[in-house]
Amino acid sequence: MAAIEIRGVSKHFGSVQAVRDLSFEVEAGRVTGFLGPNGAGKSTTLRVLLGLVHANDGSATFDGRRYEELPHASSHVGAVLEEASFHPGRSGCNHLRVLATAGRHPEARVDEVLERVGLSGAANRRVKGYSMGMRQRLAIAAALLGDPDVLILDEPTNGLDPPGIRWMRELVRSEAASGRAVLVSSHLLAEVSQSVDDVVVIAHGSLRAHGPIASVLGSPDGPVTRVRSAEDDRLARLLREGGLEPASADGGGILVRADPAAVGQVAADGAVALVELVAQSRSLEEVFFELTGEEPD
Amino acid sequence: MIPLLRAELIKLRTTRTFLALSGAAIATSLLTVVLTALLEEPTADQVLSDVFTSDTSTLFILVLAIVGISGEWRHRTITSSLLASPDRLRFLAAKAIAFAAAGLLLSLAVSLAISVVGYVILSSRDLPTPEMGELAGQVLRNAFLAALMGGFGVGLGAVVRNQPVAIVGVLLFSFVLEPLLGSLAGEVARFGPFTGLPLAIQGIPAEEFGFEEGTELLAAGVATIAMLAWIGAFFAAGYTLLRLRDVE
Repeated sequence: MAAIEIRGVSKHFGSVQAVRDLSFEVEAGRVTGFLGPNGAGKSTTLRVLLGLVHANDGSATFDGRRYEELPHASSHVGAVLEEASFHPGRSGCNHLRVLATAGRHPEARVDEVLERVGLSGAANRRVKGYSMGMRQRLAIAAALLGDPDVLILDEPTNGLDPPGIRWMRELVRSEAASGRAVLVSSHLLAEVSQSVDDVVVIAHGSLRAHGPIASVLGSPDGPVTRVRSAEDDRLARLLREGGLEPASADGGGILVRADPAAVGQVAADGAVALVELVAQSRSLEEVFFELTGEEPD
Repeated sequence: MIPLLRAELIKLRTTRTFLALSGAAIATSLLTVVLTALLEEPTADQVLSDVFTSDTSTLFILVLAIVGISGEWRHRTITSSLLASPDRLRFLAAKAIAFAAAGLLLSLAVSLAISVVGYVILSSRDLPTPEMGELAGQVLRNAFLAALMGGFGVGLGAVVRNQPVAIVGVLLFSFVLEPLLGSLAGEVARFGPFTGLPLAIQGIPAEEFGFEEGTELLAAGVATIAMLAWIGAFFAAGYTLLRLRDVE
């Protein structure tokens, strides 16, 4: 059973259709990037998943159970939502104490997670004195309180400085490496592409693509290989004789709609020395633009 | 339920609002009792209701409870609260009980302060003072009412989510509309949750709050049942809204 299962979820706010028949799954031990332009329906989907917003149709479950049905919800799922907010007059430490008490987590966890996110020194300061990055770290600390099996992070790098972004990337990877399912929503593609295993791309509330990042980044018509040799003309002829369709690549070399192994075999059989043989993949930005019809930020 | 209740009490203790409004409740109650005890000459029959019912904690706990629940929306902490406690009924119930407990404790603290000060001033002026038993009864009635008001405020704030509107509305009903209704139609106003029923529970004569002469307040027990009905109605309405609302 998938750690997270979204099945046919639809949600509208008045006449605005925020999410439309959306389905996807998130597996344990993997980081899944949830991508889409602003207003695509990412946050609404996550809020439906967490029981904060009522879906008009469909179901969103963790191991087959809705968030409200989980016996100790915050021990199973930790979430950082966009616009995470805090009482400005309460200290970071007390904010976590409230959540730890309500979630029945040991109070010692408060110090542990503060240490983990690097906020121990500011634990007793009021949140209104925190920078945006510190607030984001506090939100992450709250999500980690229950040592959850599933982490849901909505735009987690908002407000973080470059070291903070790197820290976040490492956190996400280490959480997945320890067997947790991690769902990270973002509209910052460069950020996500470095840390995810799978991607879910949505636009206008509908699913555009879902799968391992390598397959989503690959050509929709099959693998494409870029090859260069000292004898490109002879190689092109050998490829044609082998039933492949070589084409000139921008900047020199040959593009072939085949995987690198097949192209390399043709070159070896013809005794052509290669100087380049690479699988051609598109960037996440290119795919995103193609799938959503919008320019990424 | 106990962890949620404890979490709500931590929320209460860890902001300055609670301390500030509790301080204001004690200060205004003391000011009233000092002025009354110094300037009036109550008889033995009147001394209890004239001097020892100036506990303002009922109003302050009502405002605090409204701030407590509507602040969840204002500061958007409702999201983290419901993530920690997805059962919205338990969340609201825990908050209502927490504010009822806070009202009880606040009123006891205020009552203790005004009892000591009132006794000292009246004794120094050789004026009558109430029996200890009577005073203890009054203290308990005040505390009981403050507890009810704590729960009532949570229900009210869950219905009227806009914090300024809710607070101004409560002040308007408490100091203008219900007393005005009392002066015009006491038989109706005695069922009001801001003045009529609290006066009956505290045992304060209706005339002292400008109700039309001859208005008979409900018996304390009946008034308590009526007050519980108000609390139940607002709590049910507040919970229904909370259950149906999307937390965006």
